[in-house]
Amino acid sequence: MTEQKYKFLSTPRRPVEDRRFVAGRGKFIADLDRPNMLHVAPLASHHAAAVINGIDASAALAMPGVVDVITGAELAAAVQPLMNGLNTPNVRRFPLAVDRVRYAGEWVCAVVAESRALAEDALEKIIVDATPQPFILDAEAALLETSAPVHPEHGSNLLLDRKFVWGPVDDDFDAAAHSLSFSVTWGRNSTVPIETFGVLAEWNGWDQMLDIWASIQMPKYADQIARSLDLPGNAIRVHYDVDVGGSYGVKRGIKHSVLVGYIARKLGCPVRLIEDRLENMRAGDAHGPERKFDITIAFDQDGTVRSMKMRALDNAGAYAGRAPFQLGKPISAIVGPYQINSVAYHALSVTTNKTVQEAVRGFGQAPTNYAIETAMDRVAEYLGMDRLALRQKNLIRKDQFPYLIPSGSYYDSGDYHAVIDKVLAAADYPAMLAERDRLRDAGMMAGIGIAACLEPSGGNSSFEPLLNQSNQTSTWMESCQVNIDALGKLTARIHTTSSGQGHETLVSTVLGEVMQIDPELIRITRPNSLESLPGNSPVGSRMAIMLGGAAARAGEKLKAKIMAIAAHRLGVAIDQLRYEGGDVLAHDGRRFTWDEMVELAHRQYHNLPDGMDPGLASFDIMQVPTGDALPVDDKVQMYPCYSFEFHLLLVSFDPIIGRPDIHSYVIGHDCGTVINPAIVSGMTYGGIAHGIGAALFEEFAYDTNGQLLTQSFLDYLMPSSHEVPAIQIVKHCTPSPHTVFGQKGSGESGYLGAPAAVSAAINDAVSSLGIHFEKLPIRMSAISDAIAAKTS
Amino acid sequence: MNIELNGSEQINTSPVNLWESVIDPVVLQRAIPGCISMTETGEGQYQMTLELKVAAVGGSFEGAVSLSEMNPPHSCIITVSGSGTLGTGGGNATVAITEGDDGNALISYQAQGEVSGLVAGVGQRILMGVAKHLARQFFAALKKEFAAA
Repeated sequence: MTEQKYKFLSTPRRPVEDRRFVAGRGKFIADLDRPNMLHVAPLASHHAAAVINGIDASAALAMPGVVDVITGAELAAAVQPLMNGLNTPNVRRFPLAVDRVRYAGEWVCAVVAESRALAEDALEKIIVDATPQPFILDAEAALLETSAPVHPEHGSNLLLDRKFVWGPVDDDFDAAAHSLSFSVTWGRNSTVPIETFGVLAEWNGWDQMLDIWASIQMPKYADQIARSLDLPGNAIRVHYDVDVGGSYGVKRGIKHSVLVGYIARKLGCPVRLIEDRLENMRAGDAHGPERKFDITIAFDQDGTVRSMKMRALDNAGAYAGRAPFQLGKPISAIVGPYQINSVAYHALSVTTNKTVQEAVRGFGQAPTNYAIETAMDRVAEYLGMDRLALRQKNLIRKDQFPYLIPSGSYYDSGDYHAVIDKVLAAADYPAMLAERDRLRDAGMMAGIGIAACLEPSGGNSSFEPLLNQSNQTSTWMESCQVNIDALGKLTARIHTTSSGQGHETLVSTVLGEVMQIDPELIRITRPNSLESLPGNSPVGSRMAIMLGGAAARAGEKLKAKIMAIAAHRLGVAIDQLRYEGGDVLAHDGRRFTWDEMVELAHRQYHNLPDGMDPGLASFDIMQVPTGDALPVDDKVQMYPCYSFEFHLLLVSFDPIIGRPDIHSYVIGHDCGTVINPAIVSGMTYGGIAHGIGAALFEEFAYDTNGQLLTQSFLDYLMPSSHEVPAIQIVKHCTPSPHTVFGQKGSGESGYLGAPAAVSAAINDAVSSLGIHFEKLPIRMSAISDAIAAKTS
Repeated sequence: MNIELNGSEQINTSPVNLWESVIDPVVLQRAIPGCISMTETGEGQYQMTLELKVAAVGGSFEGAVSLSEMNPPHSCIITVSGSGTLGTGGGNATVAITEGDDGNALISYQAQGEVSGLVAGVGQRILMGVAKHLARQFFAALKKEFAAA
């Protein structure tokens, strides 16, 4: 049905960006070179915690080609601390360590030299006199009053401690026939893009302008640089036409940018810093959540889940940043896709002597989905009930939308049961069960994993005012400008960098659909921040909704102007006209062509309607749908749209070796109206691969001395094509009532449910032994050790 | 990460000769793998510069070595601390020299250390192997000192 409805939308069209990427003609930060550019290499702390007594850089400064060595003390005197999401003014963070280091790898000082190689050589000559201090790695231990605070000025390690009660939790627990408790832990992982973070800054004193090129994906990036450097907002010019080689949340090198901006201004030279792999892994400040869940769930004998108590303790690492907010986003889908009447949620975030946490794909939703889905499996196991039947019983039904969850968000639309039915049919579920049993009979451990999860999308950043009462944010707008030139061609401007989301494809497709013009003929430009309308960058799975929405609305405004010109020219009422492929047709058959319209608008003011401005341009600054209010009584509508995904997979492994082999993987995905099928499928495939990594391989592991053990791809394991099976995507479309075409978000698809599903499959495989794996990643060594302990 | 290293080696010389050698900076500089310089800064105190390569990472170390609880020619404790581009490390070794039946010296050692920084993070999977390898190199060089004599 959607196939007929749209001309360009939802049709298989090659993403615009692919052409230059496939040809190797993308423009990444490492491709940018400026005359007389200097290079930066940061010196990493060897200690997890230490007081810096002194830094002797004299030998480094004496080396040829070395221009400067910047210390934290110098920087702290010259720039403002980096922004924190919560009101934690005494958790101060500067690009370089000031007086003390708080994690192994933290930048102690930075060498500026004529080449990166010279800068690295000079690092060896710097002598840091540091006295090691007690440190803390475990989040529960960090909570103890006896533990030394990572920031002594802050007084404790606690960044966030909020208790929410939504609905009659006590009553529901009293009324429920059963309850059970368990704990699970989401291990510290992240996205680790092949392109590490890089930034180039250039100061022009005559213009009083700091130009920035960066592989960035960050809301309000230019503003943050201006605040830190005490420069006017219009003295920072961030160039958005830089391609970003992967991100999924983590490309937020604000400390790198402030450092490089400061150096560029101080020295009056272009300065570039590109992390090497080790710097990226240990000090890119881009680790994801590390979260322990303690859950108690109340339910009836028939499987009805009534209420849930969840304590979530997140290990934020050495500084605050926006990390605590990653406990906030999941509030928008705290009951998953289920009818759970009440929830008590205790969100805790603590500092430890580990690398700083940053936003990662889903902004904390994937860990919470893993916890909720584990709860559903535990309830089924407790009752001896089929896991699928338990879910089907508790899922929100199609006729219940819009559905208000206890924490205050309405889910917009969905048909979860239909998606699951489609997946079961596509996977041939009975055959899958039979295959599992056949594998078991053959001596293998085999299990089926199931997960039903939501992707909140179109973010309004409402977790900010919810978790920080002094924050009054109630918009997270996005904008688009459209212009038709005097030769009749369309150009649209978008106001952000792209890291693989396909924004050019998105906007050209949407505009093409609205204007009924071949998207191939529409030019998309990415100007700099000073030539841009307000926007909030591609975070929170929002661009299809927000940038797509703004582009469509800007197109509609242009179309309205075209119709008014046509009505005036043809002398008929607008409602007697029909827009068709750029031309306007009157009911009597007369045609006002696109070319005539362009001629009039650009050259014949006398033929335009009275009072109409000449030219053909429009713009739209779009507010997040449904996101119009601040929280009341700890409740708020956080996201307008909720995409649904249902995962089903079969895993087996040898009981002695314990190396999981995924036989088949089917995902049902409903993200409303799809704009570009290839982009959505690509997101989903990649998301599942990433989720398999989180479930089985990827972890930033520390030794007992606080040293990061997984700093390279030799140790930080990621799934390859050997570990990722062929994935079958089963599509379903329940349009959202809140968006221009019914589209929902899909930038986090796959990742939000795959870790839960893979964990469920492994746990199903060992269920006969009474084993529960309660921590991700579930390494093959953990599997074989657990089985050996049970069977020997 | 923490490292432990134990072992014993037979050296074809008398305990007294061996003792004299292992407190002689000139001999030590020749025997310690990657040692660029070794200078005595006080009674039983040495300053040392090393150039080492561990896995894909190489760099220089500046270290201080001190000998304590010296009981010539029988035993002592060697304490080492150093730092460089690869990381920071420290540790101590209890060294005992005994006389074998053939009059030759038998040196045994029990060492434990802790390293941090890049060498701990990147080199962890091979660090024990490297430590053993360096110890073997040291003793091979030491043996050579007396083979030549």
